[in-house]
Amino acid sequence: MRTRLLLAVTAAALIAGCNKPPTEQNNAAVAAKAKAVLGPAIAADQAKTLMHERHEGMEDIGDDFKLVNRELKGASPDVAAIRTAAAAIADGAAKSSGWFPPGTGPDVGKTRAKAEIWQKPEDFAAKDKTFQEAAVAFKAAADSGDLNAIRTQAGELGKSCKACHDPYRAPEGDHGHD
Amino acid sequence: MVTTEAPGQKIAVWDLPTRLFHWLLVALIALCWWTGEKHQYDLHLWSGVAVLSLLVFRLLWGLFGSSTARFANFVRGPAAVRAYLAGTWRGIGHSPLGALSVVALMGLVGIEVGLGLFATDEDGLLLGPLSGLVSMGASSDITEIHEKFFDVLLVFIGLHVAAVLFYWIARKQNLIGPMVTGKAALDPDIVPMRPGKWWVAVLCLVAAIAFTRWIIAGAPPFGP
Repeated sequence: MRTRLLLAVTAAALIAGCNKPPTEQNNAAVAAKAKAVLGPAIAADQAKTLMHERHEGMEDIGDDFKLVNRELKGASPDVAAIRTAAAAIADGAAKSSGWFPPGTGPDVGKTRAKAEIWQKPEDFAAKDKTFQEAAVAFKAAADSGDLNAIRTQAGELGKSCKACHDPYRAPEGDHGHD
Repeated sequence: MVTTEAPGQKIAVWDLPTRLFHWLLVALIALCWWTGEKHQYDLHLWSGVAVLSLLVFRLLWGLFGSSTARFANFVRGPAAVRAYLAGTWRGIGHSPLGALSVVALMGLVGIEVGLGLFATDEDGLLLGPLSGLVSMGASSDITEIHEKFFDVLLVFIGLHVAAVLFYWIARKQNLIGPMVTGKAALDPDIVPMRPGKWWVAVLCLVAAIAFTRWIIAGAPPFGP
């Protein structure tokens, strides 16, 4: 009886000793990294505003990109319309790095942004940077008016959307349409 | 389909095109589902378009194919369904009740594929071949219906599988075997299947592919 109790206590102590402190350390380290990479944590009341702005901004980028690809699919693409959309996408992309400070995740409000963003902040930030660069390159192609370049850069831009959405965006419906 | 308990002479019930259609459709719908879930856009478009080709082929084969594949031979009225349920129906191929399942499933798959042709994903990365024929807003709405309608299709696929299992377990009648081998043990006095011609099957396939290519091209002169 006593041996069993002793064993249980030892086991519990071992489990606690092995697991808990490093996890806490990891959490703290990840949180610090998230702050360093994605900006300081935001207050709860400001979070909702930013999350709304983020949602609208992403939706606008999506709509502009739809417009671009619809034009490119058509018989005679409207280059002027593509140019306007490309400028708007580049503007939105430039803002995107400020849209994900700690404290704007699914634990705070309705959002499809996954918690993984703040667990792997460096990877997320790198993908966001790729997206911004692709948006700038796409705008340059649109300004040039060269349809081949526009198609190529639109393809690259699309890849950069997907590279981040696949791992870091929850499916529609899981967390509402936010 | 009426089968005897005794292992009698097995005769042809389903021709090769009909069986290939069935099992390719199973595989392609699974691929459509998986690629849709995983945002594998190129593959999703390809598999959806392949389903369209299959459906068109089956519609044509249902007009010009083997006797058991022809709609005119198996789509029957409510009287035949009642006779079947009362146990007095005898014949080869789809039973009057099974025929309803065929028509319902083909119709639902047709609706799902048709919606997909006009859909655009939320990021504008996958544009259905006919999405340019409708407004951007309409295309988004159609996409939502396309996603939700798949669940309706799944329910009917579930019913279909449940019915096949019911015949297998409760009625001791294996319907899967004949859909694989094409043969079943039938009463000797039943009129056998009149097979379709292979070159008619080729023509149906060519026509189905031609129609699909026209859709992929945006259905000119309506689209690009």
